[in-house]
Amino acid sequence: MSMTVNGVVVDDTFAEAFGMSGTGIIITADTLKWARIAATVATGFGTSVIGCGAECGIDRELSPDETPDGRPGVRILMFGFSPDALVPQIRNRIGQCVLTSPGSACYAGLKAAQSIGLGKAPRFFGDGFQTAKKLGTSRYWRVPVMDGEFVIEEETGVTTEAVGGGNMLIVGNDRAGLLETAEEAVEAISKVDDVITPFPGGIVRSGSKVGAKYSGMFASTNDAFCPTLRGTVKSELGPDTLAVLEIVIDGLTSKAVAEAMRAGLKAVTNSGAKRGVTRITAGNYGGKLGQHHYHLKDLI
Amino acid sequence: MSGFTLRLKAPATERINLAGITPARLASLSSHEIGSLNVGIEKGGLALGDAFDISGSAGDTLTIEGSGAALDFVGGGLDSGSIRIIGDVGAYAARKMTGGKLEIRGNAGNYLGSGTTGGRIYVSGNAGDNLGGAIAGDRFGMLGGLAIIEGNVGHRAGEKMRRGIVIVRGKTGEGTGTRMIGGTIWAEGGIGPTPGLMMRRGTLIGPSVERLLPTFVDCGKHDLVIIRILARYLKGVLGDLAPKPMPLFVRKIAGDMAAIGRGEILLPAS
Repeated sequence: MSMTVNGVVVDDTFAEAFGMSGTGIIITADTLKWARIAATVATGFGTSVIGCGAECGIDRELSPDETPDGRPGVRILMFGFSPDALVPQIRNRIGQCVLTSPGSACYAGLKAAQSIGLGKAPRFFGDGFQTAKKLGTSRYWRVPVMDGEFVIEEETGVTTEAVGGGNMLIVGNDRAGLLETAEEAVEAISKVDDVITPFPGGIVRSGSKVGAKYSGMFASTNDAFCPTLRGTVKSELGPDTLAVLEIVIDGLTSKAVAEAMRAGLKAVTNSGAKRGVTRITAGNYGGKLGQHHYHLKDLI
Repeated sequence: MSGFTLRLKAPATERINLAGITPARLASLSSHEIGSLNVGIEKGGLALGDAFDISGSAGDTLTIEGSGAALDFVGGGLDSGSIRIIGDVGAYAARKMTGGKLEIRGNAGNYLGSGTTGGRIYVSGNAGDNLGGAIAGDRFGMLGGLAIIEGNVGHRAGEKMRRGIVIVRGKTGEGTGTRMIGGTIWAEGGIGPTPGLMMRRGTLIGPSVERLLPTFVDCGKHDLVIIRILARYLKGVLGDLAPKPMPLFVRKIAGDMAAIGRGEILLPAS
Protein backbone atom coordinates (compact mmCIF):
# COMPACT_ATOMS: atom_id res chain seq x y z
CA MET A 1 0.00 0.00 0.00
CA SER A 2 1.39 3.36 -1.01
CA MET A 3 2.10 6.14 1.49
CA THR A 4 2.17 9.90 1.18
CA VAL A 5 5.12 11.90 2.48
CA ASN A 6 4.96 15.71 2.39
CA GLY A 7 2.41 15.53 -0.40
CA VAL A 8 4.38 13.04 -2.53
CA VAL A 9 2.93 9.57 -3.02
CA VAL A 10 5.53 6.86 -2.42
CA ASP A 11 4.59 3.61 -4.16
CA ASP A 12 4.74 0.34 -2.28
CA THR A 13 7.32 -1.12 -4.62
CA PHE A 14 11.02 -1.79 -4.85
CA ALA A 15 14.04 -1.05 -7.00
CA GLU A 16 15.60 -4.19 -8.41
CA ALA A 17 19.38 -4.07 -8.77
CA PHE A 18 22.08 -6.42 -9.96
CA GLY A 19 25.43 -7.69 -8.72
CA MET A 20 28.35 -6.07 -10.51
CA SER A 21 32.10 -5.70 -10.26
CA GLY A 22 33.39 -2.30 -9.23
CA THR A 23 36.69 -0.53 -8.86
CA GLY A 24 37.92 2.84 -7.60
CA ILE A 25 40.67 5.03 -9.03
CA ILE A 26 42.19 8.23 -7.62
CA ILE A 27 43.21 10.87 -10.12
CA THR A 28 45.36 13.77 -8.93
CA ALA A 29 46.75 16.84 -10.66
CA ASP A 30 48.44 20.13 -9.86
CA THR A 31 45.04 21.70 -9.24
CA LEU A 32 41.59 20.37 -8.44
CA LYS A 33 40.41 21.88 -11.71
CA TRP A 34 42.72 19.63 -13.73
CA ALA A 35 42.03 16.56 -11.60
CA ARG A 36 38.33 17.15 -12.25
CA ILE A 37 38.92 17.59 -15.98
CA ALA A 38 40.82 14.29 -16.21
CA ALA A 39 38.18 12.51 -14.12
CA THR A 40 35.31 13.92 -16.15
CA VAL A 41 36.85 12.85 -19.43
CA ALA A 42 37.82 9.40 -18.11
CA THR A 43 34.27 8.73 -16.93
CA GLY A 44 32.62 10.07 -20.07
CA PHE A 45 30.52 7.74 -22.22
CA GLY A 46 30.05 5.58 -19.14
CA THR A 47 26.33 5.62 -18.53
CA SER A 48 25.35 2.00 -19.06
CA VAL A 49 27.16 -1.30 -19.49
CA ILE A 50 24.73 -2.09 -22.30
CA GLY A 51 26.34 0.34 -24.70
CA CYS A 52 29.38 1.80 -22.98
CA GLY A 53 31.20 -1.23 -21.60
CA ALA A 54 31.27 0.25 -18.11
CA GLU A 55 29.27 2.55 -15.88
CA CYS A 56 31.51 5.30 -14.56
CA GLY A 57 31.29 8.42 -12.50
CA ILE A 58 32.96 10.69 -9.99
CA ASP A 59 32.49 9.53 -6.41
CA ARG A 60 33.99 12.53 -4.65
CA GLU A 61 36.72 15.12 -4.56
CA LEU A 62 39.75 14.49 -2.36
CA SER A 63 41.76 16.99 -0.37
CA PRO A 64 45.57 16.90 -0.65
CA ASP A 65 45.70 15.04 2.70
CA GLU A 66 43.75 12.17 1.18
CA THR A 67 45.90 11.49 -1.87
CA PRO A 68 49.21 9.58 -2.14
CA ASP A 69 51.07 12.55 -3.61
CA GLY A 70 49.60 15.34 -1.49
CA ARG A 71 47.91 17.05 -4.42
CA PRO A 72 44.19 17.61 -4.91
CA GLY A 73 42.35 14.71 -6.47
CA VAL A 74 39.15 13.05 -7.50
CA ARG A 75 38.01 9.50 -6.89
CA ILE A 76 36.20 7.85 -9.77
CA LEU A 77 34.32 4.55 -9.74
CA MET A 78 33.87 2.10 -12.62
CA PHE A 79 31.39 -0.75 -12.74
CA GLY A 80 31.23 -3.66 -15.16
CA PHE A 81 29.89 -7.17 -15.51
CA SER A 82 33.13 -8.74 -14.19
CA PRO A 83 36.69 -7.81 -13.24
CA ASP A 84 37.81 -9.05 -16.67
CA ALA A 85 35.31 -6.77 -18.36
CA LEU A 86 36.80 -3.79 -16.49
CA VAL A 87 40.35 -4.46 -17.70
CA PRO A 88 39.98 -2.97 -21.22
CA GLN A 89 37.86 -0.14 -19.84
CA ILE A 90 40.59 0.87 -17.40
CA ARG A 91 43.30 0.48 -20.03
CA ASN A 92 41.50 2.66 -22.57
CA ARG A 93 40.00 5.28 -20.29
CA ILE A 94 43.18 5.81 -18.24
CA GLY A 95 45.43 5.52 -21.27
CA GLN A 96 43.49 7.95 -23.40
CA CYS A 97 42.00 10.34 -20.85
CA VAL A 98 44.24 10.48 -17.76
CA LEU A 99 47.71 9.80 -19.15
CA THR A 100 47.05 12.58 -21.65
CA SER A 101 45.83 15.14 -19.11
CA PRO A 102 48.44 17.74 -17.98
CA GLY A 103 50.03 17.08 -14.60
CA SER A 104 47.90 14.04 -13.86
CA ALA A 105 48.74 10.98 -11.76
CA CYS A 106 46.67 7.91 -11.05
CA TYR A 107 46.42 5.68 -7.97
CA ALA A 108 44.45 2.81 -6.51
CA GLY A 109 41.13 4.07 -5.18
CA LEU A 110 39.84 0.88 -3.61
CA LYS A 111 41.35 -1.57 -1.15
CA ALA A 112 39.97 -5.05 -1.74
CA ALA A 113 41.09 -8.66 -1.56
CA GLN A 114 41.14 -8.87 -5.34
CA SER A 115 43.13 -6.50 -7.52
CA ILE A 116 43.10 -5.47 -11.16
CA GLY A 117 45.69 -3.85 -13.41
CA LEU A 118 45.74 -0.07 -13.39
CA GLY A 119 49.13 0.94 -14.72
CA LYS A 120 50.03 -2.45 -16.13
CA ALA A 121 49.15 -1.43 -19.67
CA PRO A 122 49.59 2.38 -19.70
CA ARG A 123 53.17 2.03 -18.47
CA PHE A 124 54.21 0.67 -21.87
CA PHE A 125 53.64 4.14 -23.29
CA GLY A 126 57.06 4.80 -21.75
CA ASP A 127 58.66 2.77 -24.55
CA GLY A 128 61.26 1.30 -22.23
CA PHE A 129 62.08 4.58 -20.47
CA GLN A 130 59.52 3.86 -17.75
CA THR A 131 60.79 2.93 -14.28
CA ALA A 132 59.05 1.58 -11.21
CA LYS A 133 59.32 2.35 -7.52
CA LYS A 134 57.89 -0.09 -5.00
CA LEU A 135 56.89 1.47 -1.68
CA GLY A 136 55.36 -0.92 0.83
CA THR A 137 52.92 -3.06 -1.09
CA SER A 138 52.36 -0.54 -3.88
CA ARG A 139 54.35 -0.29 -7.09
CA TYR A 140 54.34 3.05 -8.87
CA TRP A 141 55.25 3.38 -12.53
CA ARG A 142 56.92 6.55 -13.75
CA VAL A 143 56.28 7.17 -17.42
CA PRO A 144 58.22 10.04 -19.02
CA VAL A 145 55.87 12.46 -20.78
CA MET A 146 56.26 15.93 -22.22
CA ASP A 147 55.37 17.80 -18.99
CA GLY A 148 57.47 15.58 -16.71
CA GLU A 149 56.40 12.16 -15.51
CA PHE A 150 53.04 10.42 -15.46
CA VAL A 151 52.93 8.38 -12.24
CA ILE A 152 50.49 5.49 -12.09
CA GLU A 153 50.08 2.76 -9.50
CA GLU A 154 50.34 -0.75 -10.89
CA GLU A 155 47.09 -2.13 -9.47
CA THR A 156 43.87 -1.10 -7.83
CA GLY A 157 41.31 -3.12 -5.89
CA VAL A 158 38.22 -4.62 -7.46
CA THR A 159 35.14 -5.95 -5.73
CA THR A 160 32.56 -8.38 -7.04
CA GLU A 161 30.17 -7.30 -4.27
CA ALA A 162 29.20 -4.10 -6.10
CA VAL A 163 25.63 -3.31 -7.03
CA GLY A 164 24.34 -1.67 -10.20
CA GLY A 165 20.88 -0.40 -10.98
CA GLY A 166 19.56 1.00 -7.74
CA ASN A 167 16.92 3.43 -8.97
CA MET A 168 14.00 5.72 -8.32
CA LEU A 169 11.45 7.17 -10.74
CA ILE A 170 10.23 10.68 -9.99
CA VAL A 171 6.81 11.40 -11.43
CA GLY A 172 5.21 14.84 -11.75
CA ASN A 173 3.17 17.42 -13.58
CA ASP A 174 5.80 20.14 -14.01
CA ARG A 175 8.79 19.19 -16.15
CA ALA A 176 11.03 22.06 -14.97
CA GLY A 177 10.15 21.48 -11.33
CA LEU A 178 10.71 17.76 -11.75
CA LEU A 179 14.21 18.37 -13.13
CA GLU A 180 15.07 20.74 -10.27
CA THR A 181 13.91 18.15 -7.76
CA ALA A 182 15.88 15.39 -9.47
CA GLU A 183 18.96 17.62 -9.44
CA GLU A 184 18.54 18.11 -5.70
CA ALA A 185 18.25 14.36 -5.23
CA VAL A 186 21.45 13.77 -7.23
CA GLU A 187 23.21 16.40 -5.12
CA ALA A 188 22.10 14.61 -1.95
CA ILE A 189 23.24 11.25 -3.35
CA SER A 190 26.63 12.68 -4.29
CA LYS A 191 27.34 13.21 -0.59
CA VAL A 192 27.14 9.44 -0.01
CA ASP A 193 30.52 7.71 -0.40
CA ASP A 194 31.12 4.74 -2.70
CA VAL A 195 28.26 5.47 -5.11
CA ILE A 196 27.82 7.14 -8.48
CA THR A 197 24.88 8.20 -10.60
CA PRO A 198 26.31 7.39 -14.04
CA PHE A 199 23.78 9.08 -16.34
CA PRO A 200 24.04 12.70 -17.60
CA GLY A 201 23.93 14.91 -14.55
CA GLY A 202 22.89 11.76 -12.68
CA ILE A 203 19.45 11.78 -14.33
CA VAL A 204 17.86 9.54 -16.99
CA ARG A 205 14.91 10.63 -19.08
CA SER A 206 14.87 7.47 -21.20
CA GLY A 207 14.13 4.69 -18.76
CA SER A 208 14.18 1.33 -20.48
CA LYS A 209 12.47 -2.01 -20.38
CA VAL A 210 14.20 -5.30 -21.20
CA GLY A 211 14.01 -6.31 -24.88
CA ALA A 212 12.22 -4.79 -27.87
CA LYS A 213 10.15 -5.69 -30.86
CA TYR A 214 13.29 -5.39 -32.99
CA SER A 215 15.77 -8.23 -32.98
CA GLY A 216 19.19 -7.32 -31.62
CA MET A 217 17.88 -4.68 -29.24
CA PHE A 218 18.60 -5.52 -25.58
CA ALA A 219 16.54 -2.66 -24.23
CA SER A 220 13.94 -0.23 -25.48
CA THR A 221 11.82 2.63 -24.22
CA ASN A 222 9.81 1.99 -21.06
CA ASP A 223 6.44 2.65 -22.74
CA ALA A 224 4.50 2.20 -19.52
CA PHE A 225 6.21 5.35 -18.17
CA CYS A 226 6.06 7.44 -21.36
CA PRO A 227 3.40 10.13 -20.80
CA THR A 228 2.75 10.63 -24.51
CA LEU A 229 1.72 6.97 -24.86
CA ARG A 230 -0.80 7.13 -22.04
CA GLY A 231 -4.03 5.70 -23.33
CA THR A 232 -2.34 3.69 -26.08
CA VAL A 233 -0.41 1.23 -23.85
CA LYS A 234 -0.86 -0.26 -20.42
CA SER A 235 0.40 2.90 -18.75
CA GLU A 236 1.72 3.22 -15.21
CA LEU A 237 0.97 6.93 -15.18
CA GLY A 238 -1.99 8.88 -13.90
CA PRO A 239 -3.90 11.40 -16.04
CA ASP A 240 -2.07 14.49 -14.72
CA THR A 241 1.46 13.18 -15.22
CA LEU A 242 3.56 15.24 -17.58
CA ALA A 243 7.00 13.70 -17.17
CA VAL A 244 9.05 11.05 -15.38
CA LEU A 245 12.75 11.23 -14.53
CA GLU A 246 14.86 8.35 -13.22
CA ILE A 247 17.96 8.32 -11.07
CA VAL A 248 20.15 5.22 -11.39
CA ILE A 249 22.64 4.42 -8.65
CA ASP A 250 25.68 2.13 -8.72
CA GLY A 251 27.61 1.43 -5.54
CA LEU A 252 30.56 -0.55 -4.29
CA THR A 253 28.32 -2.16 -1.66
CA SER A 254 24.61 -2.82 -1.29
CA LYS A 255 24.65 -0.75 1.88
CA ALA A 256 26.01 2.26 0.02
CA VAL A 257 23.29 1.96 -2.64
CA ALA A 258 20.61 1.78 0.06
CA GLU A 259 22.08 4.87 1.76
CA ALA A 260 22.13 6.71 -1.54
CA MET A 261 18.50 5.81 -2.25
CA ARG A 262 17.55 6.96 1.22
CA ALA A 263 19.28 10.31 0.62
CA GLY A 264 17.62 10.70 -2.78
CA LEU A 265 14.15 9.83 -1.49
CA LYS A 266 14.53 12.29 1.36
CA ALA A 267 15.49 15.09 -1.02
CA VAL A 268 12.53 14.37 -3.31
CA THR A 269 9.94 14.12 -0.55
CA ASN A 270 11.31 17.20 1.24
CA SER A 271 10.86 19.63 -1.61
CA GLY A 272 9.19 17.78 -4.47
CA ALA A 273 5.53 18.57 -3.88
CA LYS A 274 5.91 22.33 -4.29
CA ARG A 275 7.70 21.75 -7.62
CA GLY A 276 5.03 19.52 -9.08
CA VAL A 277 6.32 16.10 -8.01
CA THR A 278 3.30 13.91 -7.38
CA ARG A 279 4.71 10.47 -6.94
CA ILE A 280 7.88 8.45 -6.53
CA THR A 281 8.23 4.86 -7.62
CA ALA A 282 10.98 2.43 -8.69
CA GLY A 283 11.86 0.12 -11.52
CA ASN A 284 11.87 -3.64 -11.16
CA TYR A 285 11.39 -6.82 -13.14
CA GLY A 286 9.07 -8.53 -10.71
CA GLY A 287 11.98 -9.43 -8.47
CA LYS A 288 13.08 -12.35 -10.59
CA LEU A 289 16.19 -10.91 -12.28
CA GLY A 290 18.09 -8.83 -9.77
CA GLN A 291 19.63 -10.09 -6.53
CA HIS A 292 19.15 -6.80 -4.68
CA HIS A 293 15.73 -5.35 -3.82
CA TYR A 294 15.39 -1.90 -2.26
CA HIS A 295 11.86 -1.33 -0.96
CA LEU A 296 11.01 2.36 -0.96
CA LYS A 297 8.96 2.18 2.23
CA ASP A 298 11.99 0.80 4.09
CA LEU A 299 14.12 3.73 2.98
CA ILE A 300 11.75 6.59 3.82
CA MET B 1 56.08 -7.68 25.62
CA SER B 2 57.67 -10.74 27.18
CA GLY B 3 60.67 -12.39 25.57
CA PHE B 4 64.13 -13.80 26.14
CA THR B 5 67.21 -11.77 27.01
CA LEU B 6 70.69 -12.95 26.03
CA ARG B 7 73.59 -11.41 27.90
CA LEU B 8 77.09 -12.17 26.62
CA LYS B 9 78.96 -13.83 29.49
CA ALA B 10 82.39 -12.61 28.45
CA PRO B 11 83.91 -10.77 25.50
CA ALA B 12 83.80 -13.19 22.56
CA THR B 13 87.06 -14.90 21.67
CA GLU B 14 85.69 -16.32 18.43
CA ARG B 15 83.05 -15.28 15.89
CA ILE B 16 79.52 -16.02 17.03
CA ASN B 17 76.89 -16.80 14.41
CA LEU B 18 73.39 -15.80 15.52
CA ALA B 19 71.62 -16.63 12.22
CA GLY B 20 68.18 -17.97 12.93
CA ILE B 21 68.16 -16.90 16.57
CA THR B 22 64.78 -15.21 16.42
CA PRO B 23 61.95 -14.74 18.94
CA ALA B 24 59.71 -17.13 17.03
CA ARG B 25 62.31 -19.88 16.90
CA LEU B 26 63.22 -19.56 20.59
CA ALA B 27 59.53 -19.64 21.49
CA SER B 28 59.20 -23.02 19.80
CA LEU B 29 62.03 -24.64 21.79
CA SER B 30 62.45 -25.90 25.34
CA SER B 31 64.95 -24.12 27.57
CA HIS B 32 67.33 -27.06 27.18
CA GLU B 33 67.09 -26.91 23.42
CA ILE B 34 67.65 -23.14 23.45
CA GLY B 35 70.76 -23.48 25.55
CA SER B 36 72.11 -26.17 23.21
CA LEU B 37 71.76 -24.19 19.97
CA ASN B 38 75.09 -24.02 18.19
CA VAL B 39 76.20 -20.46 17.58
CA GLY B 40 79.87 -21.20 17.03
CA ILE B 41 81.73 -21.40 13.74
CA GLU B 42 84.66 -23.53 14.84
CA LYS B 43 84.94 -27.30 14.85
CA GLY B 44 83.86 -27.89 18.43
CA GLY B 45 80.89 -25.58 18.16
CA LEU B 46 79.66 -23.16 20.79
CA ALA B 47 76.37 -23.59 22.64
CA LEU B 48 74.17 -20.53 23.02
CA GLY B 49 73.93 -21.26 26.73
CA ASP B 50 77.74 -21.29 27.07
CA ALA B 51 78.14 -17.92 25.37
CA PHE B 52 75.15 -16.13 26.88
CA ASP B 53 73.20 -15.93 30.09
CA ILE B 54 69.64 -16.65 29.01
CA SER B 55 66.75 -15.17 30.92
CA GLY B 56 63.12 -14.32 30.37
CA SER B 57 60.39 -16.32 28.74
CA ALA B 58 59.03 -16.95 25.28
CA GLY B 59 57.59 -13.88 23.56
CA ASP B 60 57.76 -11.77 20.46
CA THR B 61 60.89 -9.88 21.46
CA LEU B 62 64.50 -10.85 21.94
CA THR B 63 67.01 -8.61 23.67
CA ILE B 64 70.76 -9.09 23.30
CA GLU B 65 72.88 -7.25 25.83
CA GLY B 66 76.61 -6.76 26.04
CA SER B 67 76.86 -7.30 22.33
CA GLY B 68 80.06 -6.76 20.36
CA ALA B 69 81.47 -6.75 16.86
CA ALA B 70 82.12 -10.52 16.98
CA LEU B 71 78.39 -11.28 16.75
CA ASP B 72 77.58 -12.01 13.11
CA PHE B 73 74.26 -12.63 11.37
CA VAL B 74 72.28 -10.99 14.18
CA GLY B 75 68.64 -10.98 13.13
CA GLY B 76 69.43 -13.31 10.24
CA GLY B 77 66.20 -14.87 9.02
CA LEU B 78 64.02 -12.72 11.28
CA ASP B 79 60.44 -12.95 10.03
CA SER B 80 58.36 -11.52 12.86
CA GLY B 81 58.66 -9.92 16.27
CA SER B 82 61.57 -7.75 17.22
CA ILE B 83 65.20 -8.10 18.22
CA ARG B 84 66.86 -5.35 20.21
CA ILE B 85 70.64 -5.27 20.55
CA ILE B 86 72.46 -3.15 23.08
CA GLY B 87 75.94 -2.70 21.67
CA ASP B 88 77.68 -3.24 18.36
CA VAL B 89 77.14 -6.14 15.98
CA GLY B 90 79.40 -7.76 13.41
CA ALA B 91 78.80 -8.56 9.77
CA TYR B 92 75.69 -9.74 7.97
CA ALA B 93 73.13 -8.45 10.48
CA ALA B 94 69.57 -8.84 9.16
CA ARG B 95 70.80 -11.27 6.51
CA LYS B 96 67.75 -12.56 4.61
CA MET B 97 65.39 -10.95 7.10
CA THR B 98 61.81 -11.08 5.82
CA GLY B 99 59.84 -9.19 8.47
CA GLY B 100 59.81 -7.87 12.01
CA LYS B 101 62.08 -5.24 13.47
CA LEU B 102 65.80 -5.26 14.19
CA GLU B 103 67.02 -2.47 16.42
CA ILE B 104 70.75 -2.08 16.95
CA ARG B 105 71.75 0.38 19.65
CA GLY B 106 75.32 0.64 18.46
CA ASN B 107 77.24 0.19 15.22
CA ALA B 108 76.72 -2.47 12.58
CA GLY B 109 79.44 -4.19 10.57
CA ASN B 110 79.66 -4.96 6.86
CA TYR B 111 76.82 -6.31 4.74
CA LEU B 112 74.02 -5.15 6.99
CA GLY B 113 70.71 -6.03 5.32
CA SER B 114 72.10 -8.22 2.56
CA GLY B 115 69.35 -10.32 1.03
CA THR B 116 66.74 -8.63 3.23
CA THR B 117 63.26 -8.82 1.72
CA GLY B 118 61.13 -7.14 4.38
CA GLY B 119 60.92 -5.71 7.88
CA ARG B 120 62.61 -2.74 9.42
CA ILE B 121 66.24 -2.24 10.50
CA TYR B 122 67.30 0.58 12.79
CA VAL B 123 70.92 1.36 13.66
CA SER B 124 71.64 4.14 16.12
CA GLY B 125 75.30 4.34 15.11
CA ASN B 126 77.23 3.72 11.90
CA ALA B 127 77.13 0.83 9.46
CA GLY B 128 80.10 -0.68 7.62
CA ASP B 129 80.71 -1.37 3.96
CA ASN B 130 78.22 -2.96 1.57
CA LEU B 131 75.10 -1.98 3.46
CA GLY B 132 72.25 -3.72 1.62
CA GLY B 133 74.83 -5.22 -0.69
CA ALA B 134 75.13 -8.65 -2.28
CA ILE B 135 77.48 -11.20 -0.82
CA ALA B 136 79.50 -13.54 -3.03
CA GLY B 137 77.15 -16.01 -4.68
CA ASP B 138 74.08 -13.81 -4.29
CA ARG B 139 72.40 -12.39 -7.36
CA PHE B 140 71.01 -9.37 -5.55
CA GLY B 141 71.65 -7.30 -2.45
CA MET B 142 68.74 -5.91 -0.49
CA LEU B 143 65.37 -6.97 -1.95
CA GLY B 144 62.92 -5.10 0.25
CA GLY B 145 62.31 -3.64 3.68
CA LEU B 146 63.44 -0.44 5.24
CA ALA B 147 66.75 0.40 6.92
CA ILE B 148 67.49 3.53 8.92
CA ILE B 149 71.07 4.35 9.87
CA GLU B 150 71.49 7.30 12.18
CA GLY B 151 75.21 7.65 11.50
CA ASN B 152 77.40 7.22 8.43
CA VAL B 153 77.80 4.17 6.24
CA GLY B 154 80.82 2.70 4.48
CA HIS B 155 81.65 2.05 0.86
CA ARG B 156 79.43 0.56 -1.85
CA ALA B 157 76.16 0.80 0.06
CA GLY B 158 73.39 -0.78 -1.99
CA GLU B 159 75.64 -2.80 -4.29
CA LYS B 160 73.31 -4.84 -6.51
CA MET B 161 70.40 -3.69 -4.36
CA ARG B 162 67.13 -4.41 -6.13
CA ARG B 163 64.34 -3.08 -3.91
CA GLY B 164 63.74 -1.49 -0.52
CA ILE B 165 64.66 1.80 1.09
CA VAL B 166 67.79 2.80 3.00
CA ILE B 167 67.83 6.07 4.91
CA VAL B 168 71.20 7.30 6.11
CA ARG B 169 71.14 10.27 8.41
CA GLY B 170 74.85 10.89 7.84
CA LYS B 171 76.98 10.38 4.74
CA THR B 172 77.50 7.40 2.50
CA GLY B 173 80.94 6.23 1.47
CA GLU B 174 82.48 5.78 -1.95
CA GLY B 175 80.62 3.88 -4.66
CA THR B 176 77.12 4.14 -3.20
CA GLY B 177 74.68 2.30 -5.46
CA THR B 178 77.35 0.45 -7.39
CA ARG B 179 75.64 -1.98 -9.81
CA MET B 180 72.33 -1.00 -8.22
CA ILE B 181 69.25 -2.54 -9.87
CA GLY B 182 66.47 -0.78 -7.97
CA GLY B 183 65.39 0.62 -4.63
CA THR B 184 66.17 3.90 -2.93
CA ILE B 185 69.06 5.20 -0.82
CA TRP B 186 68.41 8.54 0.81
CA ALA B 187 71.58 10.02 2.37
CA GLU B 188 70.61 13.08 4.36
CA GLY B 189 74.23 14.00 5.06
CA GLY B 190 75.35 13.64 1.46
CA ILE B 191 76.34 11.03 -1.09
CA GLY B 192 79.98 9.94 -1.17
CA PRO B 193 82.26 10.02 -4.22
CA THR B 194 81.61 8.22 -7.52
CA PRO B 195 78.20 6.75 -6.82
CA GLY B 196 76.32 4.44 -9.15
CA LEU B 197 79.07 2.66 -11.07
CA MET B 198 77.22 0.44 -13.58
CA MET B 199 73.96 1.33 -11.89
CA ARG B 200 70.97 0.12 -13.97
CA ARG B 201 67.98 1.51 -12.08
CA GLY B 202 67.25 2.84 -8.61
CA THR B 203 67.38 6.19 -6.88
CA LEU B 204 70.03 7.94 -4.79
CA ILE B 205 68.82 11.03 -2.95
CA GLY B 206 70.87 13.51 -1.01
CA PRO B 207 71.71 17.18 -0.48
CA SER B 208 74.98 16.81 -2.37
CA VAL B 209 77.27 14.36 -4.09
CA GLU B 210 81.02 14.44 -3.63
CA ARG B 211 82.18 13.52 -7.16
CA LEU B 212 80.22 12.21 -10.11
CA LEU B 213 81.33 9.57 -12.57
CA PRO B 214 81.70 10.90 -16.12
CA THR B 215 79.01 8.46 -17.26
CA PHE B 216 76.28 10.32 -15.34
CA VAL B 217 74.36 13.04 -17.18
CA ASP B 218 72.46 16.08 -15.96
CA CYS B 219 68.75 15.92 -16.90
CA GLY B 220 67.91 19.30 -15.38
CA LYS B 221 65.57 20.66 -12.75
CA HIS B 222 62.22 18.93 -12.21
CA ASP B 223 59.17 18.78 -9.95
CA LEU B 224 58.82 15.00 -9.61
CA VAL B 225 55.57 13.55 -8.32
CA ILE B 226 57.38 10.41 -7.16
CA ILE B 227 59.39 12.47 -4.65
CA ARG B 228 56.12 13.67 -3.09
CA ILE B 229 54.83 10.10 -2.94
CA LEU B 230 58.05 8.85 -1.37
CA ALA B 231 58.09 11.63 1.24
CA ARG B 232 54.46 10.99 2.21
CA TYR B 233 54.99 7.24 2.31
CA LEU B 234 58.02 7.58 4.62
CA LYS B 235 56.22 10.06 6.86
CA GLY B 236 53.37 7.58 7.12
CA VAL B 237 55.47 4.57 8.07
CA LEU B 238 58.28 6.27 9.99
CA GLY B 239 56.68 9.33 11.56
CA ASP B 240 59.38 11.47 13.12
CA LEU B 241 62.12 9.17 11.82
CA ALA B 242 61.26 10.10 8.22
CA PRO B 243 63.85 12.19 6.39
CA LYS B 244 63.18 15.87 5.89
CA PRO B 245 61.30 16.22 2.58
CA MET B 246 63.27 17.33 -0.46
CA PRO B 247 62.45 20.74 -1.92
CA LEU B 248 59.78 20.84 -4.62
CA PHE B 249 62.32 21.00 -7.41
CA VAL B 250 65.18 18.52 -7.69
CA ARG B 251 68.03 18.14 -10.14
CA LYS B 252 67.97 14.74 -11.79
CA ILE B 253 71.26 13.16 -12.77
CA ALA B 254 70.80 9.98 -14.79
CA GLY B 255 73.14 7.04 -15.12
CA ASP B 256 75.10 4.95 -15.38
CA MET B 257 75.00 5.61 -19.12
CA ALA B 258 77.65 2.91 -19.46
CA ALA B 259 74.87 0.52 -18.41
CA ILE B 260 71.21 1.19 -19.33
CA GLY B 261 71.08 4.60 -17.67
CA ARG B 262 67.76 4.25 -15.90
CA GLY B 263 69.23 5.03 -12.49
CA GLU B 264 69.07 8.51 -11.00
CA ILE B 265 70.71 10.76 -8.45
CA LEU B 266 68.34 13.41 -7.12
CA LEU B 267 69.79 16.55 -5.57
CA PRO B 268 68.07 19.76 -4.46
CA ALA B 269 67.81 22.10 -7.43
CA SER B 270 69.76 25.29 -6.84
